[in-house]
Amino acid sequence: MRWYLKLLPPLFLLLIWEVASILINNPFILPTPASVISVLMTPSADILGSGSIIDNALLSIWRVILGFGLAVLCAVPAGIIIGRYRTIDELLNPLIQLLRPIPPLAWVPLALAWFKIGLASIVFIIFIGSFFPVLINTIDGVRRVNRTWIETALIYGAKGWKLLVYVIIPAAAPAVWTGLRVGFGVAWMCVVAAEMLPGTTSGLGYLIMYSYNWGQVPVIIAGMIVIGIIGIGADLLFRGVEKRKFQWQEMNR
Amino acid sequence: MAGDEQMTVVIQNVGKIFETRTRDPVIALDDISFEIQKGEFIAILGPSGCGKTTLLRMIAGLDTPTTGSILVEGKPVTGPDPRLAMIFQEYSLYPWRTVRANVAFGLQMRGMEKEERNRITDRFIRLVGLDGFADSYPYELSGGMRQRVAVARALATDPAVLLMDEPFGALDAQTRNRMQKELLEIWESARKTVVFVTHSVDEAVYLADRIIVLSPRPGRLSAIYDVSFSRPRDRTSVEFASLRRDVLELIDHLEESQ
Amino acid sequence: MKQIMLVSLAVLLGLTLLVAGCVDEAPVQPPNGVTDVGIMYTATGQMPVLLSTGQIDGYMVWQPFVSVAEVSGIGTVVSYSQDLPPAGTWTDHTCDALSAREDFIAANPDLVNAIAALLILSGDYVQENPDRAAEVSADWLFGGGDMTFGDVRVSSKDVLAHSIPTIRFSTEPSEEWLQSNDRFIEALRDIGYLTGGLKDASPAEVRDSLYDFSHYEAAVAMVEAGEIVTPPKRTRPMSLGYLPSDHDAPLFVAIKDWEYFNDTFGIALKPRTTAPGKVDVADLIVNGETITEVRLVQGEGGAQLMTLMGTDAIQMSYAGTPPTISAVDRGMAIKILLPTQNEGSGLVVAASAPVDDWNSFIAWADARSAEGRPLRIAAPIRGSIQDVQIKYALQDSGVVVKEV
Repeated sequence: MRWYLKLLPPLFLLLIWEVASILINNPFILPTPASVISVLMTPSADILGSGSIIDNALLSIWRVILGFGLAVLCAVPAGIIIGRYRTIDELLNPLIQLLRPIPPLAWVPLALAWFKIGLASIVFIIFIGSFFPVLINTIDGVRRVNRTWIETALIYGAKGWKLLVYVIIPAAAPAVWTGLRVGFGVAWMCVVAAEMLPGTTSGLGYLIMYSYNWGQVPVIIAGMIVIGIIGIGADLLFRGVEKRKFQWQEMNR
Repeated sequence: MAGDEQMTVVIQNVGKIFETRTRDPVIALDDISFEIQKGEFIAILGPSGCGKTTLLRMIAGLDTPTTGSILVEGKPVTGPDPRLAMIFQEYSLYPWRTVRANVAFGLQMRGMEKEERNRITDRFIRLVGLDGFADSYPYELSGGMRQRVAVARALATDPAVLLMDEPFGALDAQTRNRMQKELLEIWESARKTVVFVTHSVDEAVYLADRIIVLSPRPGRLSAIYDVSFSRPRDRTSVEFASLRRDVLELIDHLEESQ
Repeated sequence: MKQIMLVSLAVLLGLTLLVAGCVDEAPVQPPNGVTDVGIMYTATGQMPVLLSTGQIDGYMVWQPFVSVAEVSGIGTVVSYSQDLPPAGTWTDHTCDALSAREDFIAANPDLVNAIAALLILSGDYVQENPDRAAEVSADWLFGGGDMTFGDVRVSSKDVLAHSIPTIRFSTEPSEEWLQSNDRFIEALRDIGYLTGGLKDASPAEVRDSLYDFSHYEAAVAMVEAGEIVTPPKRTRPMSLGYLPSDHDAPLFVAIKDWEYFNDTFGIALKPRTTAPGKVDVADLIVNGETITEVRLVQGEGGAQLMTLMGTDAIQMSYAGTPPTISAVDRGMAIKILLPTQNEGSGLVVAASAPVDDWNSFIAWADARSAEGRPLRIAAPIRGSIQDVQIKYALQDSGVVVKEV
């Protein structure tokens, strides 16, 4: 599909927004796109004494990278082990299914109690949000490695770690990568919850909550849009790599 | 016993019983015995459910017989091994590896150095007629080309026996015929012992020195046919048609009395 | 394709109109001769929005949201909290206080004295320099920028300049202040909000549980003598919690104008950054020596600050007396050291209302109740000072209060 056609739905939404704000004629209910855009157009201007949009965005991105990175470091090896050994999978699966649906926001009080005020508790929230998608996709990817590929490897003398490194990991890689893409998306969504932790005075999530406390609606919406844009950007990046490195997935046999 | 060293594969009273969770145990194979000479091309033929793939897998070391034993070059089979190179019908290649990397797989697992690996892989890539495709990926190749890569990979490790499980089953008729011809050419220059499983009588008669026919459920050795006419074989010749008719009759009979 | 787009456009427009149509007033009730007023609990940040969209008729809240309404023209101030009826009841009423964990006080008595002294000095400073206090508060809370409420734009500096003078920055635990707290505790008992240690305690027991003014007294002595005793240095940092309100102006000026306090009194909270806006870390300097690192933790509400103090995440906090009292009631080992600020709240009604003082407000309440559309007034959390005050004031004027 031509790339400019993909711009149509957002533009359409913008049009609806403009029309709606004119019809409603009450900027307290729906601020005009113009008021929000003016916030977005000055991304390096200070907002509410908390720094510029750019500064806060960079900070949030950094926190997410930390939390997500940690999640990947833990979840991928764990997923490989769980996916490979049936008994471990059966042992741990109930626990995983129990913890998985708990929203990251619910972990905030515990995060605070365990990690105190500071970067660690923020990173923890993001970690716990992205851990499970990465873990589950990795387990799934490893479990679904084609049996024939494994048997071929055994025939050619690849056992133990060689089997893992030369066959299982490359075979599971596309599924793991999908897990990373989804996990990053969730990690990014956690940024608002994570930055609600007390003592946080910066970041996009913080900006949104702080401006909520002062009723500054255009800033809230501008913050939401920036979060959305960065989310799309990350997703496109992941998909781009997927397209280039995992082209072989198209092959059925 | 004299002549035993010549027997590359010895199948002795091999039986296989599969336990099932809901029904009675299934007797897949029952008391199979035969021997294969070095350099022979054997076809194992039979209708579906006769256990031919199971038998092949046991020779490859991927399954173990419930009764009996399998010896290769005088030694019992204890597990999968590059001496017993197997080629599957589907998913044979690693799609994330190039043709060259696929062919080199067994050598790489053995710890061979890169230069030597490349020498050997070049030779076999050329042998199977895929010169110039060394850096292509499997998804860029046709089905027939992929199976050729699988053959090159198997031969590269210099196996004692080449085991093939209906390798051309997924290909269209013309490609299949062509592949059969090319396989014979490769075999003639490499002279490996080949055990080839198929359910196509035509294929078995075209390719094999001997055809071992199994009966279905339980799989028993029904007959062994010698195919003595020389290669390349003419599918339209009288002797070809005659043997084919005999074998087909046997198989029909076996299927009916099931 | 075109048809799909037209249909979705129509659907979206329909939805937005539906939402717009939902923003209307409360359902009509039949009149019954008694004046009703409904109290609704909402987030403070939402109150200006709710007022200007007509979803509420007024709100009772702490500064600077009272000034926001007046300066932006969204609303009119009916009465500041200290002037609410019954007359004289709320003069100098309690609001914010400095409290600390008992174990922290026991381990760092001199430090606590010094901090108390600093806040006494900065409280006086704010009271004497309201313009500077407003400027600093606007910078800290808002970066000095504009606040936007819909298409209304006001300078935060203007709002804070209007707000600061309405707050009384006093650090004296006077008898009036103590009685104000007693009355407030009574009110909490009535509502059933005290269920622990303070529920059946006698006034003397309450005072014992809540207060420790020894440090206030020590601080006053130091201030009068003109010399702050240098506390021993600490290696571990301490954390002080505060709320994003101009009630905390003394804290803000102590940090932003640290040089003045350092030069004049020999004590200062020197910020680690010179950037505008809020400060996260400062160093307490007394008589030229750096005593301790002080981390400033911005909370969302008094209750949250209490929870943080309970887990020792912060050791001191600058918060409202109601949540502090509730925390002590629940058994938290903290003490109120001194008040920091009194009054500073107010009742605001929509600009279009026929109201300019309390009496006209009650008249309006009567009229609207007779029409069957009783007033809806927003207040912050149940059990807050504002909530208690507005309820008492309304009941004193013969109004029946309902929570909606």
